[in-house]
Amino acid sequence: MPQVKIVPKNFMDMVAALPASKLDSLYTNTFFCEAVLRSLPPVSKMYVLRMLYIDAAVSAKLMQEWVLPDSFSKHKAAIDRLLQLRVFTESIDSGTLSREPMPSSVTVRLPTLEELDAYALQQWECFLLQLINSSLVERPTNFSPSMMKVFQRGLITTRDNEAPKLTENGFRFLLMETHTQLWYIMREYISTSEGRGMDTAELISFLLELSFHVTGEAYNMNTLTEVQQIAIKDLATLGLVKLQQGRKESWFIPTKLATNLSVSLSDSSSRKEGFVVVETNFRLYAYSTSKLHCEILRLFCRIEYQLPNLIVGAITKESLYTAFDNGITSEQIILFLQQHAHPRVAQKAPAVPENVTDQIRLWETDLNRVEMNLAHFYEDFPSMDIYEAACDYARELGGFLWEDSKKMRLIVRGEMHEEMKDFLRRQK
Amino acid sequence: MVNAIKGLFISCDVPMAQFIASLNASLPPSQKFIIHMLDNTHMFVQAHAGEMIRNKISEFRDLNSYEKPA
Repeated sequence: MPQVKIVPKNFMDMVAALPASKLDSLYTNTFFCEAVLRSLPPVSKMYVLRMLYIDAAVSAKLMQEWVLPDSFSKHKAAIDRLLQLRVFTESIDSGTLSREPMPSSVTVRLPTLEELDAYALQQWECFLLQLINSSLVERPTNFSPSMMKVFQRGLITTRDNEAPKLTENGFRFLLMETHTQLWYIMREYISTSEGRGMDTAELISFLLELSFHVTGEAYNMNTLTEVQQIAIKDLATLGLVKLQQGRKESWFIPTKLATNLSVSLSDSSSRKEGFVVVETNFRLYAYSTSKLHCEILRLFCRIEYQLPNLIVGAITKESLYTAFDNGITSEQIILFLQQHAHPRVAQKAPAVPENVTDQIRLWETDLNRVEMNLAHFYEDFPSMDIYEAACDYARELGGFLWEDSKKMRLIVRGEMHEEMKDFLRRQK
Repeated sequence: MVNAIKGLFISCDVPMAQFIASLNASLPPSQKFIIHMLDNTHMFVQAHAGEMIRNKISEFRDLNSYEKPA
C-alpha cells in the first residue's frame, strides 16, 4: 500500500513543476482535478472543499484563524502545496498608487493605446538606432553624449580614426528580446544615476512603481519629486512614458514598455508581431518599415532590395561568415528568426524551414573543422607499468589527449607538462 | 628515460587530415611541420604551424565561394 502512495506523490511534484499556463489548461479535465484532490494532504483537501463555493478571495489571515496555534506548520504546508499546484492563487492586494489618474473633466485629448504603442516603439527604435550608429538617425534623442557613451560601453568600441564598430556583445544585444534590452539599458542607467545626483534606491522604486500604473492613463507631473522629474524626461526619450502638455499642467502617460517592466522580470509574455518570412530557398522577406530591423538583418543576411514596406534579403554563406566573424552564433540567428517569424508562417511547424536552420548550423561548424591543442608528446617509456601509470595520471589531471598503447606513446595537454615531469621523475 | 616533445595536437575529420598531410608534403623538407601522423584523424605538429594551417584551410574554404558581383 505505501508503494502505491509514492508514485502519485512524485507525479504531483512533476505536475506542480509545470509552467502555470500548462497547469491551468490541465485543470479543465475533470479526472485531473479529482486526481489532484486525492493527492493532497488531508488539511489541504479540507481547505479546498471549504472554499469550493466561495467566489471571492479569502484572506490568508482568515484561514490562519481556522487553525489551532500548534498545528500551524501543517497549515503552512497545506497552503504551500495548494499554491504549488495552483489550486489556490495568491491575489496580492498591491499597495494603492499614491497618484490618481487624470479626471476626465480636463479636456485634453489622450492618445489611444495604439498611438501610445506606436510612440513607444518609435522612441525605442530611435534610441537603439542612435546607440549603434548615430549617422542613421534623423532625430537624435536628447540624451547627452556622455549618457550615450555609458550605454554604448561594452556594446560598441570606438576607435578614434575609424567609425564606431559593434562588439560581439553589441551584436548579441541587438538580437535579444525587447525587454531584455530594456532591462540592460535600465541597469546601465541606474548604475550611473549616483554620478548624476539621483538617489539609486529612489530611482529603482520609482521605476517599479511606474510599472504598476495603468497604461494609457495620464498622471499629473506635479506629483513627482525632483529626482523623478529628471528621470521621467529620460524615460520619455526611451519610450517608456509619453509626456503631454496641458494648458496649465503637464502629464505623463505610461506606455506598454513601462508596465511590462515588472512583468518581464519573470517571464516573457509580451510578443511583438513577427515580420520575417524565411523561404526554403534561403530568401528572406521582412515586412517592416523600421531602419533598426534593416540594420539587424544586415548583420547576417545580404539585403537585396528595400521597398517601402518590405525588405528582401538572402541568407548566404558569405553573409553568415561575416556574422560568425563578428561573434554571433548560429543559435542566436535561428532564435531571432523564429521569434520574429511572420504570423502567417509562425503557425507552421517549424516556423523557419529546417533546411535553412540546418545549413546555418553546418556553415558554423564548417568554420571549426580542426581542433588544435598545445600539447606534449611522450615516448620511450621504460616499461608498460610506468606508461599505464602515466596514462592514468594524465586522465586524473584532465589533460589526457591521445595514447597509443602498442607503441607506448602518450599525448597530454601542454598546461600539465610540469606535473607530468614531476610524476615521471617520481617514478624513477 | 621518457622523451617529451612539445607541439600541437590536431584532431579533425579525415578530409581535413588529408589536406594537412598534402600541405605538409608540398613544403620543402626544412619547413615540414608534421612531427607524427598518429591516425587518420589525429596528428602531432610543430607548435608554430597552427596559424599557418588555419590560414591555408580558410583559403581552401574560400575557393568554393562564389560572390555575386554587386
